Amino acid sequence: MKKTRTPGCLTRKKKKGVYRKLHGCQKLGGDVIGTRWVIMSRWRQSVDELAARHRQQVECQRAQEALSRVTSCFQQLVASLGSSADCSFLRDEMDETRMLAHRICNGLSKRLVRLLSGSDSIPSGAEDRQVSERLWVLLLSVLENFLSDLRKARDLIGQFPLTQRYDRRSLVNTGCMDGVVGVAARVALVQVPWLSLEEEPCPDLTNHIVGLEAMLSDMQLRVPVAFWSVEATQPPWAEARGELDEPDDTLEDMMVVEAVSYNKMVACCQPPCCGLGCVG
Amino acid sequence: MTIRNTLRDHGQRYRPRIACLKKAEKVLLEMQDPKTGVKSQPQRLVITTIPHAITGEDILSWLADRFQIDTQEARNFGSMLVALGYIYPLQDHKRLVIKPDASLYRFQTPYFWPTQQWPVEDTDYAIYLAKRNIRKKGILELHEQEQYNRLHKWMNHKWDFIVMQAKEQYRAAKERKKPDRVVFDCQERAYWVVHRPPPGTVSAMDYGLDRRIDPNADEEKTPDFYGRIMIFTQQSIMRPRVKSSVSIGALVKYCATYNGHDPFLSKCLPSNPWITDDITYWNLNMPNVEIPTKMRVERWTFSFGELLSDPRGRDDFRLFLKKEFSGENLAFWEGCEDLKWGTAATMREKAEQIYKSFLARGAPRWINIDGKTMEITVNGLKHPHRYVLDAAQTHIYMLMKKDSFGRYLKSPVFKDTLKKAVCPEEHKYSDAQLEQNAKNRRPSLSPIVLRQQEKEHRAKMAANAPVDITQVMSKLSKTGKEVSPCRRPPPPAKT
Repeated sequence: MKKTRTPGCLTRKKKKGVYRKLHGCQKLGGDVIGTRWVIMSRWRQSVDELAARHRQQVECQRAQEALSRVTSCFQQLVASLGSSADCSFLRDEMDETRMLAHRICNGLSKRLVRLLSGSDSIPSGAEDRQVSERLWVLLLSVLENFLSDLRKARDLIGQFPLTQRYDRRSLVNTGCMDGVVGVAARVALVQVPWLSLEEEPCPDLTNHIVGLEAMLSDMQLRVPVAFWSVEATQPPWAEARGELDEPDDTLEDMMVVEAVSYNKMVACCQPPCCGLGCVG
Repeated sequence: MTIRNTLRDHGQRYRPRIACLKKAEKVLLEMQDPKTGVKSQPQRLVITTIPHAITGEDILSWLADRFQIDTQEARNFGSMLVALGYIYPLQDHKRLVIKPDASLYRFQTPYFWPTQQWPVEDTDYAIYLAKRNIRKKGILELHEQEQYNRLHKWMNHKWDFIVMQAKEQYRAAKERKKPDRVVFDCQERAYWVVHRPPPGTVSAMDYGLDRRIDPNADEEKTPDFYGRIMIFTQQSIMRPRVKSSVSIGALVKYCATYNGHDPFLSKCLPSNPWITDDITYWNLNMPNVEIPTKMRVERWTFSFGELLSDPRGRDDFRLFLKKEFSGENLAFWEGCEDLKWGTAATMREKAEQIYKSFLARGAPRWINIDGKTMEITVNGLKHPHRYVLDAAQTHIYMLMKKDSFGRYLKSPVFKDTLKKAVCPEEHKYSDAQLEQNAKNRRPSLSPIVLRQQEKEHRAKMAANAPVDITQVMSKLSKTGKEVSPCRRPPPPAKT
């Protein structure tokens, strides 16, 4: 929400140096007070604009995180396509997730294009621009990643259509039995700032892919951002030092086999594993 | 008549990319059938039980049954399926082979299949490494650490995305139930073992260079496309006809002649290095080996082309011609080959050199070609190009083929070589010995070293150039009796 400009146009004031009657300002002695008022208003305006831009960036950042969450859940769903866990519930959840991602993508791309196309009156500082560019690069990366998952989904659905009963016979027995209820619940919890505002019908998979490709090329044409100027905010290996929410088992620990039946056949590979017959 | 230069052949023949993937997928789907597919059993882990584990021996017996092949072949096929990433081992996950015992495997989910229209992205690998980092608190394998650092440098602009996505994927995976989570983690790990193998392992995904266009894609119907079709059909009409009995007879004769020499169709003595990892076969058949194998010598008798294309055969032939004092023919032919396949910068000098040595009147090694060819050649040499000596070269080739080749096969030189030729015994390796051989594999000589050796050999040959015919004849006439050709001081070295 921007503060509306005062009727006395400041630029004109700058050029001609003529006093205009401002709200509640009297022609006090000398130019000094007037100029100070002008400077103050200009300052306040730029601060407001900057604040607005900052708010938009924060909003975009949050939307970025939401999009990341949605796309990772989408990946978990797509990984089960064609396997024994594939069912109509999975595909419905996939469509829902896709729809959500579609909404977030559209809104995010519009906002970022607006932020970066430089149509603002007050030019952004270097730092501001950097933040926006970083968000831009992040968005493009997420979109590319999501696009590749979408393509895989389309090919897999084409290869394993679940229209007939006998189609289930050709599903690959991967060991996944459960559906993805937890993942679906996670998706449902995602909050997007503008979710309620823009409602458009969700395209089907093929059109979604086509639309996303068009959006990517369109975005890259409209805003010239140099990828290489964006640098990472965190050093390498930073995520390894981060604290986990809860201590987690590694795959090696989880794959420990029950000792009883497998002891004779499995050779224990490394001592750090526990005394039971180990796998992996 | 010329021999295509096989070493530097840049012919853009279509090299099909891994067409076996589609076939492997079909086999995979057949294996899933609940009645006729591979038997599966649950895998009991401490924390849970996961279904759909299959044993190596079950897979192999199914394959042997389905395709009616023996166990060794089934093993090779099974190992190929594992190496391609369609089945992954649950124990010893880094070794992509099938063990014919009760070790467990599982099918890979189609999302992680190595189908080609989904290129394997470095971004995904970076995300995977970041996830492993989070899980294992930075304890990665050495090659993974190197890859991580490299990707951090090259993908620095996306690094925030990569870390964010890694964290989100990690949390999303935690939402699944424990057994599914274990399965997904195994699947992902297996996928990256196939597509980013640790250094020193052979990857089944190596398919060579990418083609510029997809040969199986439909071509656009441009006027150029139709123009090419027209040219092709015109040439087909103009082509000379041969009776099928004649052409088929030629094919039959070729097959019958070469059947014993084909390493796919018949045994390769002593053993095929690609199978047994023993390189005796290559050592015995090096280009400049002293004593060739019997098979190699037999091959020279098939045709003149075979003799010339084998460097050892050519050496033998050169020796024979030297004894007959008609070595200039072969030298001229080799000079023409050199001109045709050499660099454009040296062409002019080479052509001049050849003219001075072989074609000019009173040249030291004058070759005997008919007047008409000589005229054409000399005229052409005024503006030399790569194929200016083609007519003369063909004439000389035919001369050698009709005349010298027959005499060579009856000569003492050849008979001597044939007697000395060695026939190696077949190797019979046991399984343990095969494994030992595989461990002792060493890389071959670097191509730079090989090229240097070749250059030295050629220089040695040039230095020992045979005697001029005119000098020998004059010597003979002077002394009146046979004089063994003595070594004259070598002619000035060729540029």
